[in-house]
Amino acid sequence: MIDAVEPALLPSRIQMAFTLATHVLLVPMGVAMPFLTLLMEGIGLYRKDPVALKIARRWSVVMAVQFAVGAVTGTILSFEFGILWPRMLGRFGAAFGLGFAIEGLAFFLEAIFIGVYLYGWNRLPARVHFLLGLVLPPAGVLGAASVLSANAWMNTPGGYSLQDGRVTNVDVMSALFPRALGYEFWHFLLALYLTAGFVVASVYAVAWLRGRRDHYQRLAFAVPFTVAAVLTPAQLVIGDLSARALVEDQPAKFAAMEVTWQTRDHNPEVIGGVIDDSGNVHLGISIPALDSILVGYTPNQVVRGLSTFAADSRPNTFEVNLTHLAFDVMVGLGIVGAALSAWYLWVVWRRRRLPEQRWFYRLAALAGAGSYLTVELGWITTEVGRQPWIVYNVMRVSDAVTTAPAAFIWSMLTVLVVTYALIAFFFVTLLLRLSARWRREDLGEPGAPEVGVPYGPRPRTLEG
Amino acid sequence: MPELIAFVLLLGITAYSTAGGVDFGAGIWDLLAGQSPRGKKARELIDHAMAPVWEMNNVWLVLSIVVVWTGFPLLFQTVFSALYAIYALALLGLILRGAFFAFRHVAGEPRTHRIADLVFGVSSVLTPFFFAASLGAIAAGDLRVFSPMTVAFGLVSLAATAFSGASFLVADARRYGATELVGYFQRRAVVAAVALIVVGTLALAAIASENPGLFKAMLAGKGLPFALATMVLTPVAAFLIWRGTFRWHRVLTVGAVGSMVFAWAFAQSPYLIPGRLTIDQAIAPTPTQVLLLVVTVVLVLVIVPAIGLLVYLDQRGALESPQS
Repeated sequence: MIDAVEPALLPSRIQMAFTLATHVLLVPMGVAMPFLTLLMEGIGLYRKDPVALKIARRWSVVMAVQFAVGAVTGTILSFEFGILWPRMLGRFGAAFGLGFAIEGLAFFLEAIFIGVYLYGWNRLPARVHFLLGLVLPPAGVLGAASVLSANAWMNTPGGYSLQDGRVTNVDVMSALFPRALGYEFWHFLLALYLTAGFVVASVYAVAWLRGRRDHYQRLAFAVPFTVAAVLTPAQLVIGDLSARALVEDQPAKFAAMEVTWQTRDHNPEVIGGVIDDSGNVHLGISIPALDSILVGYTPNQVVRGLSTFAADSRPNTFEVNLTHLAFDVMVGLGIVGAALSAWYLWVVWRRRRLPEQRWFYRLAALAGAGSYLTVELGWITTEVGRQPWIVYNVMRVSDAVTTAPAAFIWSMLTVLVVTYALIAFFFVTLLLRLSARWRREDLGEPGAPEVGVPYGPRPRTLEG
Repeated sequence: MPELIAFVLLLGITAYSTAGGVDFGAGIWDLLAGQSPRGKKARELIDHAMAPVWEMNNVWLVLSIVVVWTGFPLLFQTVFSALYAIYALALLGLILRGAFFAFRHVAGEPRTHRIADLVFGVSSVLTPFFFAASLGAIAAGDLRVFSPMTVAFGLVSLAATAFSGASFLVADARRYGATELVGYFQRRAVVAAVALIVVGTLALAAIASENPGLFKAMLAGKGLPFALATMVLTPVAAFLIWRGTFRWHRVLTVGAVGSMVFAWAFAQSPYLIPGRLTIDQAIAPTPTQVLLLVVTVVLVLVIVPAIGLLVYLDQRGALESPQS
């Protein structure tokens, strides 16, 4: 199985996984933070609340800095398609690339309007500033939808005809709207919004734990947390629909997620555990017939197992275990998130105030990191579960990889890891510095929140 | 229609070379500014002038690459399979530049600040050199990573970006009231223009020896009007800057650099890779072309007003901090 593959396969896969795993961390805030910021600005304008406006303005600074980092990591990804997977794009670019053409449009809009929004604070009339900002959330959603369209195409390819290894015709609509887009889009969009909500709120949960209990802290916590708390239960439903759709669309991935080896009815749901090469599952909790019930609402539902796929057409044992565990932990974290959301919504609804238990804020502080982790795990589930295919059932990853020497890709990977670590360090340093300065400002020091930020407005003349 | 898609690609590359070139050029002058008080002042101006635009130019790059893999998948595969090393180096410059531009705003200690300056400057050299080098390898037709053509194109690109950068910095120095820097960048713009003319001539010699067909098309074929334009516009722009006539020099600078890109592209058309791959051979099926054109039209309809808004606000001073 491993003979005659390009030597660069392993480093290429690791490099792609590394750069994508990094980029995907920037996506929730990139896509959903403008919505939270505008929501806060809207509240500030509607209630004439200067504190809400101050929060929105600070958030917009974080949003802009993180957009700049995302622009760099995103550009790198587009080059990696050529450096690592030239044969996939060479064959399918005409169909697979369509989504990215639209993504370019969205990226353009975001770049311009983030600039206008950030610079426009207190310099444009308040209402104009708010209205111009309203371009950002739909532009973000459009961008996410088009990238997901490309990813969904890899999972359920279609809309093209092949002749002699070349795409001879393209059906634009079916290439842009592959079947998997229907569930991938909603699942990921909700994930982005609720992650952004939990992440932003977690900062102010920490502030609560440290004893800050003013209007500023309450507002900055409640707005994003409410958004996340409303969306999280819905995500359980959408996630369930997505998994169920895989039964038909990508049965090998589904079998890997559930570590199902033999095709059978009364298939148990295995929670945790690892499978070995001969299909035996070790450890883990097995709940009889539950998988069959979840798939077909009856224990008699037959579920297809991994052993029915040729060994070179399904994920290998390591990949199956990775997919399965990632899926289980993702679902587990999702349920914890939904429980936390229910706790919050219950208190807000019945008592008309925010929760006051320390434990609630401890969990809320963890919810930010937890939802980042959940996004990563969901991404691992869908990407590793598709192996060994880059285009499901059509092209193997090993047939798409570059012919460049492995040593080159390993070196490039090393350089990327080092530079990404530097960028992460700079990014975090900058955020901490901003946070410290804003706290000083709250204690009476004057200044505009954007001053000194790399992408912030310039003073009219040079100093000194 | 395939020619139209190729033209959209050319516009993307030209936009990146001109608008991106201005930014990279500023980075090159940043590298050369040194640690003297005047150099520090120059660096401050560069920082100031560049802050709001740099990340936007990545948009042109992403747009171009998307047009290549969607519109000309075979070109994408061929070029990247051969030139991956060049693109990896260009990318490295791109990441380091972005990271260290941000970092030098955060760096507290003078020593770390100097390191950040250095990395930022060096990466501003890497990226334009290697992106242009890849075009050189394509223009040669042989897609060799290291050849007279890659070096020649890379050097021309450095001279051109340095020229664009200085030309725009002259205007920025005036705009931000840094009068003592006007002369500083005037001199540098003229030096860069002379360098550009010298390296450009050498590059023509390299083209003549490596790909005579392309040389002929540049000076006697489809590339001629643009080759002439760049040969006229570069000295005229430099002359205006030297004389201190600051009305049109930026437009002429962009015209000079843009014409250079056009001269190369038109000279090698209908080939995407001379002697190997034509536009018609590499083009994606018609529906894909239609979608690309639709996206382009929407882009123009949406982006032109958006950029117009940005420029309008900027000119009104609506985006400046109030005087402190």
